[in-house]
Amino acid sequence: MLHYDYHKPDSLKEALGLMAQYKDEAVFIAGGTDVMVQIEQRKLKPRALISLRNVVDLKRNEDTTIGAGVTLRELQKNPMIQEHFSALHDAACNLGSIQIRNVATIGGNICTAAPSADTACPLLVLDAKALLVSATGEREVDIDEFFVGPGKTVLRKGEILKEFKIRRFTENTGSVYIKHTRRAAMDLPIVGIAVRITLNRNDVKCRDALCALEPISKIMGYFEDEELKCEDARIAMGVVAPRPIRARHAEAALKGKVLSEKLIAEVSEIAVSEASPRDSVRGEAWYRSEMVKVLVKRGIMKAIERIVRPGEVVYPERLW
Amino acid sequence: MAQLTFVGKPIPKKDAPGKVAGEAAYIQDLKVPGMLYGRILYSAYPHAKIVRLDTTKAEKLPGVKAVLTGSTIPPFKFGVYKDNPPLKTGKVCSLRDEIAAVAAVSPEVAQDALGLIEVEYEELPALFDPIEAMKEGALLIHEEHKTNVLKMPWKLIVGDLDAAKKEAAHIVEDTFRTQWVTHCCLGASGCIASFDINNNLTMYSNTQIPYLAQKDFMEALGTFGLKNKKVRIIQSVIGGGFGSKLDTYAYEYLAILLALKTRKPVKILFSREEEFFATSPRQCTITKISHGCTKEGKLLFREMEMILDNGAYTSWGATTPSVMMLPISSLYKVPNVKYTAKCVYTNNTYSQAMRGYGNPQATFAIECSLDQLAEKAGIDPYEFRFMNANEPGETTPQNFKITSCGVKECMEAVKTRLGWTGKRMQKEGRGFGMAALVHVGGGARVYKSDGCGTIIKIDDYGKVDVFTGSSEIGQGSETIVAQIVAEVLGVPIDDINVINNDTDVCPWDVGVHASRTTFVAGNSALGAAQKLREQILDLAAATLNEDPSALDLKGSVIFSKNDKEKKIALGKILRSAHYAPGGKMLVAEYFYDPPNENFDKEFKGNLSVAYAYGAHGVEVEVDKETGQVKIIKYVAAHDVGKAINPMLLEGQIYGGGVMGLGYALSENMVYQNGKIMNPNFLDYKLLTAKDIPPIEAVIIETDEKNGPFGAKGIGEPGLVPTAPAIANAIYDAVGVRIKDLPITPEKVLKALKEKEKR
Repeated sequence: MLHYDYHKPDSLKEALGLMAQYKDEAVFIAGGTDVMVQIEQRKLKPRALISLRNVVDLKRNEDTTIGAGVTLRELQKNPMIQEHFSALHDAACNLGSIQIRNVATIGGNICTAAPSADTACPLLVLDAKALLVSATGEREVDIDEFFVGPGKTVLRKGEILKEFKIRRFTENTGSVYIKHTRRAAMDLPIVGIAVRITLNRNDVKCRDALCALEPISKIMGYFEDEELKCEDARIAMGVVAPRPIRARHAEAALKGKVLSEKLIAEVSEIAVSEASPRDSVRGEAWYRSEMVKVLVKRGIMKAIERIVRPGEVVYPERLW
Repeated sequence: MAQLTFVGKPIPKKDAPGKVAGEAAYIQDLKVPGMLYGRILYSAYPHAKIVRLDTTKAEKLPGVKAVLTGSTIPPFKFGVYKDNPPLKTGKVCSLRDEIAAVAAVSPEVAQDALGLIEVEYEELPALFDPIEAMKEGALLIHEEHKTNVLKMPWKLIVGDLDAAKKEAAHIVEDTFRTQWVTHCCLGASGCIASFDINNNLTMYSNTQIPYLAQKDFMEALGTFGLKNKKVRIIQSVIGGGFGSKLDTYAYEYLAILLALKTRKPVKILFSREEEFFATSPRQCTITKISHGCTKEGKLLFREMEMILDNGAYTSWGATTPSVMMLPISSLYKVPNVKYTAKCVYTNNTYSQAMRGYGNPQATFAIECSLDQLAEKAGIDPYEFRFMNANEPGETTPQNFKITSCGVKECMEAVKTRLGWTGKRMQKEGRGFGMAALVHVGGGARVYKSDGCGTIIKIDDYGKVDVFTGSSEIGQGSETIVAQIVAEVLGVPIDDINVINNDTDVCPWDVGVHASRTTFVAGNSALGAAQKLREQILDLAAATLNEDPSALDLKGSVIFSKNDKEKKIALGKILRSAHYAPGGKMLVAEYFYDPPNENFDKEFKGNLSVAYAYGAHGVEVEVDKETGQVKIIKYVAAHDVGKAINPMLLEGQIYGGGVMGLGYALSENMVYQNGKIMNPNFLDYKLLTAKDIPPIEAVIIETDEKNGPFGAKGIGEPGLVPTAPAIANAIYDAVGVRIKDLPITPEKVLKALKEKEKR
């Protein structure tokens, strides 16, 4: 039979002290939507659970700092997140269900380090930095270096993920996360794609075409005519590798180029070549590759739409 | 018909407040003093010899009160085919085979004990594909059965198929497949078995067949050395059935055996994972179908050959071909029909009834094939269906006597609401599809009796207790029965208390199946209520000095229709009868068994006294890059005879539609080598509220003469035509026909890519 102690400290210091007392055989628990399931499945047999729910140090949610203890629901309802970090907002709107989002935290989602973690790809394209604290000090890690493998991170024993730092981007920047699922709620992505694009300008003449029902190739044609250039780009992919990854070659192929249908098709293909999806009950490898191709293209278009039509269509149920 | 007060009104479910407030006691909530907890050890292999089974360590674990294995219990087999022992000895035939059972002081101790049982297996080659299992020389799942094909030769032949084939101007032939799906009851299976000092058994259960279960358990007790003992079934509140609780299962017999052994009540409760892998789902099928019609589009013949994966043992799943025959012979007018079906043993889980009882599998093949035929004949699929649609007064090839039939009205409603003419073929990637259905709507004689009994008593204050054999499994029978009784007795619906959960108290009923409860239990309640009403009016007639026929009863007052001054309160007349010398308390009983027929040897006969028809139509949009299918509009029209409660009826249509959408698009028990790979709601894609499009329910009333107030059954029909309607719409939208369910984005995209290549 399973017995464990339960603690609910008020400060980071206290939490770290408790972990030391249990000689690292305790488990930190935030929302519990992953930990409790693992305990129920007997995959986790902790001596104690140390709840982080009362730790105020983890709750910062301002400007360029997002505390690890911030819930997905808080992110979803935060207009600042929606405006400046749209990709993260997309993830927060689509993780689990409202009930889960009410308790699940962004820190928990990242520390579980599932290849399908919804907030991982957005944080990757937003160049987030993770601040890790321990009894002896703190260190900052680039989010791309945080993930090691499925369920594995650079977090050491006795270390807590405190918060994420994300810089503000220029006006000419837009981001998006597309979660491709079988169901509209309570699902994990078959593939998750996040894209961040910075354009050379945002006064695009073909602005209205983006929301019209014109075919994608025609809109791309307008971009080409207007010499709309991609100054910077990030593309991240979930569920196509043992951990969420960036499609660096695809990003490089996009950077500094004038947008055209041909370019975006090439970029999508490059992203596919950087993915190594597997067959599983949740999706077949060929389909995942195919979706990378489609969703990278749609992600780029959606990110551009958010730059040139800011605040108008934030999360339509249908993308292109 | 006279003005109705309760029937036909959208009265909220009587059991809803208790369920919403958390007051309802499900089997999960029940506790009996001194109760132990049972857990079951399942096989580790789909097909293997049990070489060694050692329970010594488990028995020694503190808190363990009993450990049973196949060799320590009396030999006994249960199930439709009596091929399933509650604990297996010698060999296991599937991964859900029960090997040992433990009773302990807590579920955790019982679970830990399972881990201490040592089993050594010798793995045997296994069969997971029914086609492989049918092959000559295939290994035998049950050696004593001599073959893997069940000896149930399902065969229906009507007319002259060869002649019809010669006459046909257009013929289509194809093969369709359906998948394993499960009921997904929110209330998982469970029971408590408890013996009294005289060895009479009380079973607390969430069964949907209390009286057949009672019989099964009595027979089992007989073989356990307890002949002529009494069995009482007390049902908890039931969190859904959908056919899953239509049989008795190993876990129930194990609870009984553990209770006998320990002399304590024993509770066995399924975890969600067990509910997925150890209950019996709707089987997968392979259907070869061909259809032919004249040049003008008149249907000439239908030929179907079906293979059903029975799994390792036999429950009602093996008898679903009987109900499949209903649409096969009687959906549309088709004079020449041939149908054969084989149920085949495999090392998979074993199959059971599930809402629709085979009808969804058969209708998927029929309605997809009909669309193909309409296209070949160059006729609009709607026109083609309408031309061949059934009509009232018809006797179908299987000898079904169609009384009321509103299928044409249903089709018209679907056509109009979808905007079939005009909107169809207008938009790239959008498509329309439709499909019709027929199902039993007036009981179904699959057992010796199709009856249901009702007892009604009324107290000194006009409050009514209705004891009905029918069970409330969420479908709303309690409310329907109350509405009917309130209508006849003229008392407020809140004064009607329905008791429907105790075999010691309630009269017999065959069970919740075949969409029969509103019809059969409704007619039974109606009969009892009318008898009681007569008694009341007779009493009042004497007091009011009026002929009983001149009296009416409404709002708990009896009054003369001729003279408004002549009236008396119901309670008053009841009390005066009670306290008069000699005293009289009013009770009435009625047993209704519909005049329907069992099938004869040729599988013909009027199975039901009424038939429910309907048509569903859907507009879809297909994302050609991802293969995703979006439902734009969904219309579900049903001929229900009469809506006794339009709100509950719409609920049944929505619920059916949602289940049908899951069947069509997402639900699939993924089996690999006999093991279910997705035994949880994360990976078994039961659709969520967010996935469901608005379903437009259209109620067509045809006033069925045999039904209570004109009603027919509606429990199952809602999910029957969904999958073919969607498959047809996808074909209409993008020109690819998906012939195996579920229609996943992968399948659609793959088909689109193949079409591009061509």
